[in-house]
Amino acid sequence: MANLSLRHIYKVYPNGVKAVNDFNMDIEDKEFIVFVGPSGCGKSTTLRMIAGLEDISAGELRIGDVVVNDVEPKDRDIAMVFQNYALYPHMSVYENIAFGLRIRKMPNEEIHKRVTEAAEILGITEYLDRKPKEMSGGQRQRVSLGRAIVREPKVMLLDEPLSNLDAKLRTQMRAEISKLHKKLQTTFIYVTHDQVEAMTMGTRIVVMKNGFVQQIDTPQNLYRYPGNKFVAGFIGTPQMNFFEGTLTKNGNKVDIKFEYSDAMITVPYEKLLKARPHYLDGNHPVYIGLRAEDASLDPEVVANSKYKVKVVISHIEELGNESLVYADINMHGDGYTESSTRIIIKSQTANQYTPGEVYDCALDVDHLHLFDKETEESIIPRIPEVNEIECKVKDGKLAFLNSLLQLPSAITCPEGKGTMLLPTNAIVFGGRATANAVECEEIGGKYLVSLDVAGRRLFAVSEKPVKLGECNISIDMKRISLHIEDTVVEAMNEKVAFNGTFDKQKVVEDVAIFKKPKKDKKQAEEVVAEQATDEQPVAEQVEQPLEESEQPEVVKYKKRKVIHFYLNIAGTRFDAPDDIAQKIFATLPPRTVFSTPFRYEFTPYDFTLADSGIPAKVERVLDYGNEKFAVVRIDENTVINVFVKDNVWGDVYLQPDISKVGVVETVRDIRLA
Amino acid sequence: MAEKIKKFRSKRKAEITTNVIVYIILICISVVWLIPYLYLVAQSFRGESTGVVGYMFPKEWTFNNYIQLITDTDTLNFPMWYLNTLIVSLVTCIIQTFIVLATSYCLSRMRFRGRKGLMNLMLILGMFPGFMTMTAIYFILKQIGLTGNLAGLVLVYVASSAMGYYISKGFFDTIPRSLDEAAKIDGASQHTIFLKVILPLAKPIVVYTILTSFLAPWGDYMFASLMMLGETDKFNVAVGLKEMLTRENLPKYFTRFCAGAVVVSIPIAALFIWLQRFYVEGVTGGAVKG
Repeated sequence: MANLSLRHIYKVYPNGVKAVNDFNMDIEDKEFIVFVGPSGCGKSTTLRMIAGLEDISAGELRIGDVVVNDVEPKDRDIAMVFQNYALYPHMSVYENIAFGLRIRKMPNEEIHKRVTEAAEILGITEYLDRKPKEMSGGQRQRVSLGRAIVREPKVMLLDEPLSNLDAKLRTQMRAEISKLHKKLQTTFIYVTHDQVEAMTMGTRIVVMKNGFVQQIDTPQNLYRYPGNKFVAGFIGTPQMNFFEGTLTKNGNKVDIKFEYSDAMITVPYEKLLKARPHYLDGNHPVYIGLRAEDASLDPEVVANSKYKVKVVISHIEELGNESLVYADINMHGDGYTESSTRIIIKSQTANQYTPGEVYDCALDVDHLHLFDKETEESIIPRIPEVNEIECKVKDGKLAFLNSLLQLPSAITCPEGKGTMLLPTNAIVFGGRATANAVECEEIGGKYLVSLDVAGRRLFAVSEKPVKLGECNISIDMKRISLHIEDTVVEAMNEKVAFNGTFDKQKVVEDVAIFKKPKKDKKQAEEVVAEQATDEQPVAEQVEQPLEESEQPEVVKYKKRKVIHFYLNIAGTRFDAPDDIAQKIFATLPPRTVFSTPFRYEFTPYDFTLADSGIPAKVERVLDYGNEKFAVVRIDENTVINVFVKDNVWGDVYLQPDISKVGVVETVRDIRLA
Repeated sequence: MAEKIKKFRSKRKAEITTNVIVYIILICISVVWLIPYLYLVAQSFRGESTGVVGYMFPKEWTFNNYIQLITDTDTLNFPMWYLNTLIVSLVTCIIQTFIVLATSYCLSRMRFRGRKGLMNLMLILGMFPGFMTMTAIYFILKQIGLTGNLAGLVLVYVASSAMGYYISKGFFDTIPRSLDEAAKIDGASQHTIFLKVILPLAKPIVVYTILTSFLAPWGDYMFASLMMLGETDKFNVAVGLKEMLTRENLPKYFTRFCAGAVVVSIPIAALFIWLQRFYVEGVTGGAVKG
């Protein structure tokens, strides 16, 4: 009955180990979220942070609209089911379920009503008088569920509740928990290391590894569009086949060559349009992933397929309704060990094949997954990053497809032929050019629009759905990069980052002492007293009594020491916003707050030129036609681009919009805002 | 060459031999242990004389020693001492049990700065024999006027009781933390968790703590004799009984001393018999996956 929001959640242990890294997620009301990953990936820690059993090292956790970082578990309105049941052994089942209600001083009749109701739902009515030790594992877990549901919590947290049960009971309880979720209509967060549980129960799944979120998506999307090799291998049985190989683009075709084998297939470029262009040069090793059901030995399929490799079958596992054929694309491979040439094929016709023989195997290239060999990230993301287009520059004009664009003065580039990298976010809807929108697909809250421009498919990203058919677009010239002849013109750098620190300063200020109605007098004194104590970010509260009381009467002014907090950005101090100061104090150990280096991040649009601020020198102004950016030098190593309305030159002062600052603590690499 | 058939020793025979040896040893030990008790009980019923004699079993059996122990209160007031000891022991027992269990719970369940250091410090301090500080304690208590006073004695016994945390902390550590966490989420505060979840599961160790906290003051001689120097009516049983064994009292009071010793052991036996059933009870079954 509540939504959750996790913002930049970290768990860092005193020895510096990060169990959870920058966890960001919005959980809607009534969702069934599953955290899944191998042991030690931080999934339980995250759940325990939501429960309040672990402190949150950094970040903001909201349940409903309330920030609950500092709220006791009992006041968070959550209930939790533990892997080992955690029943009170000296109490009967009835008392176990009622315990939480008794502590909350609920009237006896209400307790009785709720306990019997829960027992009925869970089918444990006849065991209510028993002690936990007289029950089986499955029954105990039901009691544990009962204890959670009688509280009618906003959020149900389940920490591997089925891991201690045997296989059959697990399947049964899985279904029952799903049923319970439907019945209770409340938010469930479920932790498991079992991908089958995750896939069958979750409305959305969070795949984690080593404290990092790998991917958050629906079960189907995780299966169909894994974002990296880990997710691809983790979801699905048997595991996805991975081969090493390279991709080489030859005109309109791409050769996919498999390493350690003679196998090679050639696919049309349209199949790999979304792939990051630089991987198609034949020099970037990639992992080629293919699920067992996307390969086929069936003679009919093979006869109709254009994409075939030769495999030698090593052995066959019969599963009853189907078989897993273990084969190898390397004719000398053994097919037993997991290698980068082994292939597992799901087959209905396995009895036709003889181990040791060589067969043709058809590959379904529409379901090909490609991953970078180093980073293991997918190189064909669902939302592609760039479109690669042939182009020509002549007379200061850029010609591509059927368009001719005037190059802005900011882009200086020799004449000639080459390619243009047009990022998907550089295509802006609205403008003078026209395109034909042929497809609009919602992916993670954004819309991927396929445009048809002069027979070529281009991808664009839109925040709003786009009507299919004719549409107007324009190109954000600062984001394109050109490779003309041997010259590379990079897109404009939009990152603005400064090194800095968090400072404090004691200031002697005149603090007004107000005459207050008797009731408030104590409060006013408290405010003043608080200011006298060190290390508390309360400096700004000085004016508060003024705003609150209706007719404040100043009795006298007193000189008080007040501590001010500043963000020291590239040597210049700016008043720290309250929320940021509080986050910094909440995250860092008190002794190191003022000696820790921070990185402050902005966008080029967050600056105004003013009389004071960060001193900088304008080196030149980039004119992109509709927008102008000044290239300013802050110090020897820092040059940034900031948005300006008019041409500027010489020495200037930059006044950043502090409310938009991004703060990263650089020692432990923790993002605070 | 004829095969040599290997003869196996009979397993049954071997077992019997071992058992016989073991039982002989055990009987010897128990005789050595039991003789003093037997001697004490037998002597306490001796009727022919009250002094020390050279034989064990009395010629004339009587209950007189017990009656005199309780009724003859003119010089040596045994009932008074008995009452003193009982009060001191009970009060000490209650306070000490509470302190020990609470300390153990804190050290087992809470994480605070200096916890490890504190535990080690207490362990090491606890290893020094208590009488090392006896003189110091005597003078400190004398200055604040607590010598010759039962409350002072209780204070001495209770003062360092937190140091006895070790065994019960070890027991608390075996109770799964997920129980605490479940209770915490159910809305229990620390003291609810302690009283309603942990203590009921820790019955054996509660019993153990009660027994040890009762026994120590019950049988203490050293502190009691020092604190109550010369104040005969504030003596506890240990000091009082020792008084019966002085050179001038011995001929008159030896049999009465034996009777006193027997009477002293009664509450301990009763306490143990009452509490021992909790020792055996396995209470943690079914809490978590078992």
